[in-house]
Amino acid sequence: MGEAEFLFLLTGLKWTVLLSLVGFAGGGICGLAVALMRSSGIAPLERGTAGYIALFQGTPLLMQLFVVYYGLALVGLKLDAWVAVAIGFTLHASAYLGEIWRGSIEAVPRGQTEAAKALSLHYVARMKDVILPQAIRISLPATIGFLVQLIKGTSLAAIVGFTELTRAGNIVSNQTFKPLLVFGVVGILYFLLCWPLSLYGAHLERRMAVAAR
Amino acid sequence: MTRTTRRSLLAAGAAALALPALLASPAGAVTPAEIKARGKIIVGIQGDNPPWGFVTSAGKQDGLDADIATLFAKDLGVAVEFVPLEVNNRIPALTTGRVDVLFATMAMLPERAKAVQFSKPYVANTIVFIGPKKDKITSNEDMGRYTIAVAKGAAQDTQVTKNAPAGTVIRRYDGDAPSIQALVSGQVQAIGGNIFYMQRIEQGRPGEFENKLEFQNLYNGACTRLGEKEINAALNAFIDKIKANGELQKVYDKWMKVPVHKFPDSLEGVPFTAN
Amino acid sequence: MNYRLDFTPVIEGLPDLLLACLGTFGLALGGMALAIVIGVGGVILRDSRIAPLRWLVKGFVELVRNTPFLVQIFFIYFALPLAGVRLDPTPTAILALGINGGAYAIEIIRGGVQSIGKGQIEAGLALGLHRGQVFRLIVLKPALRAIFPSLTSQFVLLTLTTSVCSAISAYELTSVAQRIESESFRSFEVFGTITLFYLVISWVMMRFFSAISQRYFSYPVK
Repeated sequence: MGEAEFLFLLTGLKWTVLLSLVGFAGGGICGLAVALMRSSGIAPLERGTAGYIALFQGTPLLMQLFVVYYGLALVGLKLDAWVAVAIGFTLHASAYLGEIWRGSIEAVPRGQTEAAKALSLHYVARMKDVILPQAIRISLPATIGFLVQLIKGTSLAAIVGFTELTRAGNIVSNQTFKPLLVFGVVGILYFLLCWPLSLYGAHLERRMAVAAR
Repeated sequence: MTRTTRRSLLAAGAAALALPALLASPAGAVTPAEIKARGKIIVGIQGDNPPWGFVTSAGKQDGLDADIATLFAKDLGVAVEFVPLEVNNRIPALTTGRVDVLFATMAMLPERAKAVQFSKPYVANTIVFIGPKKDKITSNEDMGRYTIAVAKGAAQDTQVTKNAPAGTVIRRYDGDAPSIQALVSGQVQAIGGNIFYMQRIEQGRPGEFENKLEFQNLYNGACTRLGEKEINAALNAFIDKIKANGELQKVYDKWMKVPVHKFPDSLEGVPFTAN
Repeated sequence: MNYRLDFTPVIEGLPDLLLACLGTFGLALGGMALAIVIGVGGVILRDSRIAPLRWLVKGFVELVRNTPFLVQIFFIYFALPLAGVRLDPTPTAILALGINGGAYAIEIIRGGVQSIGKGQIEAGLALGLHRGQVFRLIVLKPALRAIFPSLTSQFVLLTLTTSVCSAISAYELTSVAQRIESESFRSFEVFGTITLFYLVISWVMMRFFSAISQRYFSYPVK
């Protein structure tokens, strides 16, 4: 494996990072909406979002990508392959993040909501200034844990034909016929991307466990 | 999967079932005029099957199909955008409107002609069975002794599945590259492929394999969606033109290193023109 | 172009698809069994007195949890043969699923064991319980109860991950679906339908786990 091949892997890595970031940002925005609806107290909204979450947590990411990839084109949306894949990851992430954040919104003691209501704060102020800042803190370790899952999940875009890190690895491995080396390097690149995040998540978790004691 | 209730799963099922109902709308036909107005043509191509269509280490799309597609784009006066596809994504990517046209090693087969519109053929290919050099393989029956790799949904998948005796172990992979990789890794002892496979296998496991059986001589054409007359007509005119002016021979010289094949005027079950 | 949905190939392929669900369950159950073995073994080694063993387990957990499953299964299937280890698709899939699930299981089980305070064990002994009783009633059962939700949701995830094993041509639902798709070119219909299959499969898994949980881990009602 020469320099050109390694650079090709790095190009794949770039797409992996980009796809993860777009999926995480999109999933974060939609996930917040899902979390708020899921804990809104309005029955149809709660049930609808519960179904949405169950659908995405109960089916393989690979199938979600396939269905979104072909489904979007069928509704008449002609998007670049990578936009279609990014939408797939956004939907996937919004369900998981929605569920994580719902949990942390509900973990904020009820007294906080009641106190905010007693201060006659309306819904937006109550959420924005009282509940969410605490909920975000509680949810951080799990959120980072999911980000790592998402980065690893982007490898499945390879099966749809999107040239990110794993597919780049496949292509290089098939040109050089050195799979041991190529997949080793690909694995290390993922590890370098994910491990610092995992360590940070574990660190936050420990710190919060100490604080809770 | 915390706290997922049965009811929410039912809701999820209902939502999933309702989804297809939203999808009955048409994806809109594409015409050469539209492509010219847009300034680019979106071409579905293979990304991992040299020398037909492959992405180079520099990340550039290359290959025989890429050259032909680039000539077609030049003919229309537009830029070309390649979408690398997996073997069994090719037809769905076209029919769902993800690409305008396929230059993707598409062998002209009657069952495919029911799903897509083929153009006139622009290149010939042969589907072969590759096995260990030291073994005597002379008939289809002999294939039964091997575990055979094929690319899912490729012409070699169809041929090996059809010709191998019942009970043969056939392993289907996501594309040409993983199937060759499986042979080189020793996960399988034989492989269904095309005329160019041996070049690549020689790089990975020199001197061990050779072409043992020939199944079928095939012609490859460009594909568009059924019923799209104008773009099909433009493709046929273009193919006639490059056959006549020697540009096809130049592409042949670069990749195939043989004179341009004689192409048939018609193929059983595969119409060249849209109606 | 007018795309009309056509489910005929899916309906014709239904017997094959249903049979393939057994393949999916087989991979999932095999993977879970291996994951439990790796999980329990890993926890024992993780707290071993021999430092290199502890490092080995720690390294294993970090390495597996921070690389994608697809890369892991490609590595086992395509690269290990060069090192002399050649496994068929199904054993490869079970091994990869077991290793992946096992790394998570180690962390989950370890958390459960640590959740049992020393004081509780001492209290149990002070009450005159045998060591065996203390282990069964005070360590094992509460620890299992504590880890059961995380372990089972990890296992549902593992079940869904079996779909990735189609990439090495293992026999399971996704690979059979892809074969039907490649013959009929009806990707949306085929994948949409088997998405529902997976929803049912994960529902069955969850029911199964919650039945176990109710049978063995519910607190006695007085």
